[in-house]
Amino acid sequence: MKKFLITLINFYQKWISPMTTPRCKYYPSCSSYTKTAIENYGLKGLTMGLWRLVRCNPWSHGGVDYVKKNGIELKKAGI
Amino acid sequence: MDIAILKPLYIAVSWVIMTIHGWLSPIFNADSGVTWTLSIIGLVILIRTILIPLFVKQIKSQRALTALQPHMKTIQTKYKDDRQKQSEEMMKLYKEHKTNPLASCFPILAQAPIFFALFTVLNGIGKTPPVKYGVLTQVDVVSAAQAKFFGAQISQTFLGSTDGNVKLVTVFLIAFMSITTFTTQRQLMLKGMPKMDSKNNMMLQQQKIMLYLFPVIFAITGVNFPIGVLIYWSTTNLWTWGQQFYVIKRNPTPGSPAYEELQRKRAKKSGVTDSDEPAPPISSIEENQGELKGQRKQPKKKKKKK
Repeated sequence: MKKFLITLINFYQKWISPMTTPRCKYYPSCSSYTKTAIENYGLKGLTMGLWRLVRCNPWSHGGVDYVKKNGIELKKAGI
Repeated sequence: MDIAILKPLYIAVSWVIMTIHGWLSPIFNADSGVTWTLSIIGLVILIRTILIPLFVKQIKSQRALTALQPHMKTIQTKYKDDRQKQSEEMMKLYKEHKTNPLASCFPILAQAPIFFALFTVLNGIGKTPPVKYGVLTQVDVVSAAQAKFFGAQISQTFLGSTDGNVKLVTVFLIAFMSITTFTTQRQLMLKGMPKMDSKNNMMLQQQKIMLYLFPVIFAITGVNFPIGVLIYWSTTNLWTWGQQFYVIKRNPTPGSPAYEELQRKRAKKSGVTDSDEPAPPISSIEENQGELKGQRKQPKKKKKKK
């Protein structure tokens, strides 16, 4: 399941995302955040990712927002 | 395809279509393809009009970037070798100043169910016998099923039909979708965006991917879509393009190539020439790229050499 979700996100990042204009208000982007979240939290990570997507709305100010594990920010290279 | 949670959307989508259909029927005849096509286009116009305030909001926050230009430049110079840090600092800056020029992810996600609902409703019409969704009555689905767009039934798909007209119209619409998406994207990348970081290489790479990929992706997905859905998709693409064209021409993002161009034009109009080169035409890629290079001379727009 985890692998499947990550493959989906990878597919999105590689093939779909380049077709749309850069739009995410956060760093790392919603897709990248969700990937890290799923890698570390499994299905709960998916919920975290969905919640991030909801937060990435026209009224939010965005900003830097890493997935946290035991209080540590999980930083990864890439978008 | 009948997903319970989407039921309200089926009702909403079909209701909008039927309301517009009701208005247009006295003019074009209830069974006419023109009426049905315009009803779908009307749905696009309604959705996109509702979304205009969001778009205006985004434009306004892009305008607020002018004040941040010096900060942005500092960040770009300071972290010119570390793209991750650069993006991170840029996002921090936006947050500090409570402005963010990016459109955000949610709206596009929110539109997906609408698109899916439309797909389901139109797909239902295309079934034999037609399946009713939302507020559609038996008379409506039968009428919609035979409605034609340039000789092709709007309920038919490329794969599901043997009619040459359907194939031709589908191919035309898919080509149109590819072209509008690509032009919109290229226009934004070349002219509409402030230079946020040194992702010029990435940009070129993405454009290349897109150039070949759009037709492929649209072709793969589009052959399964009823012509009505393709009409919806094409119209919404055209709208996006037009909206962006207007903003880039009239109200470009500070720091973007289009903004520089507008400044130059205005300076010229008022008789002050701060640039010795004439405003370049905007018709072809070569010229656009030449223009980007030209801007390297201006310190404000200086790009990182990689």
